[in-house]
Amino acid sequence: MNAQGCLVFELKNDIRELAALSRHVEALGRRAGIPARTLLEVNLALDELFTNIITYGFPQGGEHRIRFHLRADPRRLTIVIEDEGVPFDPVACAPVEAPCPLEERRVGGLGLHLVRNLMDEMSYRRTQGKNVLTLRKRIERQEPPACEAG
Amino acid sequence: MNREADMEITEETRGNARLFRLQGRLDSNTSPALEQRLAEALSNGTRGVVIDFKHLDYISSAGLRVILKTAKALKRDNGKLLLCCMQDYVKEVFEIAGFDSFLPILPSPEDALREI
Repeated sequence: MNAQGCLVFELKNDIRELAALSRHVEALGRRAGIPARTLLEVNLALDELFTNIITYGFPQGGEHRIRFHLRADPRRLTIVIEDEGVPFDPVACAPVEAPCPLEERRVGGLGLHLVRNLMDEMSYRRTQGKNVLTLRKRIERQEPPACEAG
Repeated sequence: MNREADMEITEETRGNARLFRLQGRLDSNTSPALEQRLAEALSNGTRGVVIDFKHLDYISSAGLRVILKTAKALKRDNGKLLLCCMQDYVKEVFEIAGFDSFLPILPSPEDALREI
């Protein structure tokens, strides 16, 4: 495991933290040489999951921390999100319906539908009072990763 | 940077239509501002809306919800919502969400305005 490809950070349950989330993802992406398109997709998936946690995870209110571990291997990005909110398993959530007429479209579940399509794997466990979600995304590189001096 | 400034909205009247241009990021922070601007236009009687995405770099489901809500409201009132000039990545998000099946995405604002 390359220390340059690892990042651990915490965000408050505040929607304004979305800016910090995208800055962290971009910083790791630059360090690990992850293609821009992959980064945008990861950023969107994490935005959706983070927004879900802060919207539904803490009905009692108060300040809470959501913890992110990101690890970039040469061909794969692994992300673990931990929160102490109410138990919620996004993997077990039913997918949204197939395309249908405008009048019948519902918006619920749209964020998770995007996550499922943008990430390659998603697994969930509830442990020690925490939701732990692990996501994996293949890194499609045009060319072998460059070696960085220093 | 002030998060509110992460998206800029400009609007102008073009014939019978109202043209909105978006710049920056449309996410759960910035989508309420767009929702409000669109709701104001609709309550002022606008029935033709074009949204230009040329300078929009990012959209999340919060942004898609505002678009869907506006499309439904306009359809109820025999109005029309048309989108144009989407960057590849934003278009990909629309396609994954299946929104491209009921919302036409046109190459230019002029193409969209002609359809109103």
